[in-house]
Amino acid sequence: MNVALAYADAALGLLKRDARVFVSYRLRFLSQILGALFSVALFYYISRLVRVGTFRAPGAYFAYTVVGLVILEVLVSTVSVLPGRVRQELVAGTFEKVILSPFGAVAGIAAMTIFPFLMALVTGVITIAFAVVVFGMNLRWQTAPLSIPLAFVGGLAFLAFALLIAGAVIVFKQAQAGVGFLGTFISLIGGFFFPVALLPPWIQWLSRAQPFTPTLQLLRNLLVGTPLQGSPWVALLKIILWAIVLLPTAALALGYAVRSAQRRGTIIEY
Amino acid sequence: MASKTPVTAVASVERLVLSGVSKTWEPEAGPVLDRVDIALGAGALVALIGSNGAGKTTLLRIAAGLIGPDEGRVRLDGFDPFSDRREFQQRLGYLSAGQGGLYARISITGHLEYWARIAFVPRASRRNAIEGAIERFQLRDIASRRVDRLSTGQRQRARLAMAFLHDPTLVLLDEPQSSLDEEGIHVLNDVLAQYVDAGGTAVCCSPRGENIDSPSYVLDLHDGRLTRQ
Repeated sequence: MNVALAYADAALGLLKRDARVFVSYRLRFLSQILGALFSVALFYYISRLVRVGTFRAPGAYFAYTVVGLVILEVLVSTVSVLPGRVRQELVAGTFEKVILSPFGAVAGIAAMTIFPFLMALVTGVITIAFAVVVFGMNLRWQTAPLSIPLAFVGGLAFLAFALLIAGAVIVFKQAQAGVGFLGTFISLIGGFFFPVALLPPWIQWLSRAQPFTPTLQLLRNLLVGTPLQGSPWVALLKIILWAIVLLPTAALALGYAVRSAQRRGTIIEY
Repeated sequence: MASKTPVTAVASVERLVLSGVSKTWEPEAGPVLDRVDIALGAGALVALIGSNGAGKTTLLRIAAGLIGPDEGRVRLDGFDPFSDRREFQQRLGYLSAGQGGLYARISITGHLEYWARIAFVPRASRRNAIEGAIERFQLRDIASRRVDRLSTGQRQRARLAMAFLHDPTLVLLDEPQSSLDEEGIHVLNDVLAQYVDAGGTAVCCSPRGENIDSPSYVLDLHDGRLTRQ
């Protein structure tokens, strides 16, 4: 079998495995969806309460936060979930099989993000549909379908961060506290729930120096027509460059972390 | 007497070679493996024995490429576990000690399908490989059952089926008889006999080497050195 095909097939194997575990808990999907829908309802009523000068049209802040919620779910599904999954596999002894397979630890860890990422996309689509149907959010139908391929590209950039954190879990075993901090920090500086222009000027460079903000801005533009501050092509280029540069770097760093833990004999410790 | 020359199997073709392998976990306790040399040929069935804490599991983990030695090198069919990782792992079947490595809510068939994919078993032969593993370890009646609804002996047979599924040239089995009943041990010995007859190489590790039928020879690990019995 062609090597690339073998890797793709193995990645599908992990996807199928995760799907099997997921569907074995009958209420898991329902509770995940309900959680997202309650968040939408919560932000709808908050948006009725507050008036934000930045948003001129009624309901604009609501649409802004709904897209923020959806992307936060994608971010959580990659950056935050993966380290916990790796640690869980280490504790259960199942990661050993991945290491001792031709597929290997690095590809195995990367493939572990596929199912949660796809679930986040499905949840995101349902969340947006709910916001449109129940709360009358204005969706920009002509450009909304483009958000799916953009989400995949953005997901690749997010994946790089997830791989780096997974590498930290392999080496240090405990990285959960750092992951929680990072998730909150990214949602603060990334403009998930408020425009980054509201941040103090001295920290705004951080909003521009990572892939989350341009991904969010582009998705908001495509989904609900939030005006862009610059060219959409520049934002897209930023996201692609992040993915191109950071993804191989992160994969190399993760590979180094795995080999280092193997050399020291700590790879199977938890 | 500690062996100073490699402990070598009867067959001429060297399959698994460990040269000068040393490993120290705690410097004050001394090395758990002290310049261990092994050369095993095709068709060898080896019982690796030693008291608790002697380093049997460490030796198997190093031979599997799961962890690296402080010194020395490992080769399987000429492949290095780290620089030729994919080729090395395609030839290796490994069973860890204990009951880990299974997903509670996935069936035996689900595990075998999953393992076949990440072990790069070609699509065309995957179904046969899975069916063969189910037959060999007599898992037919429980193949669709979730792992958390199996007895520990049944789980062990499922784990063994995964170790042999992808037709490896070498299997390293850490306490394979653990939790198996008499029938299970009989099944394991049958599989091992067929496997080595077909040219496979097997290393079975346990404290006393009990329940392994007709090993080619027994290796005793003591004070970090191997002795052939």
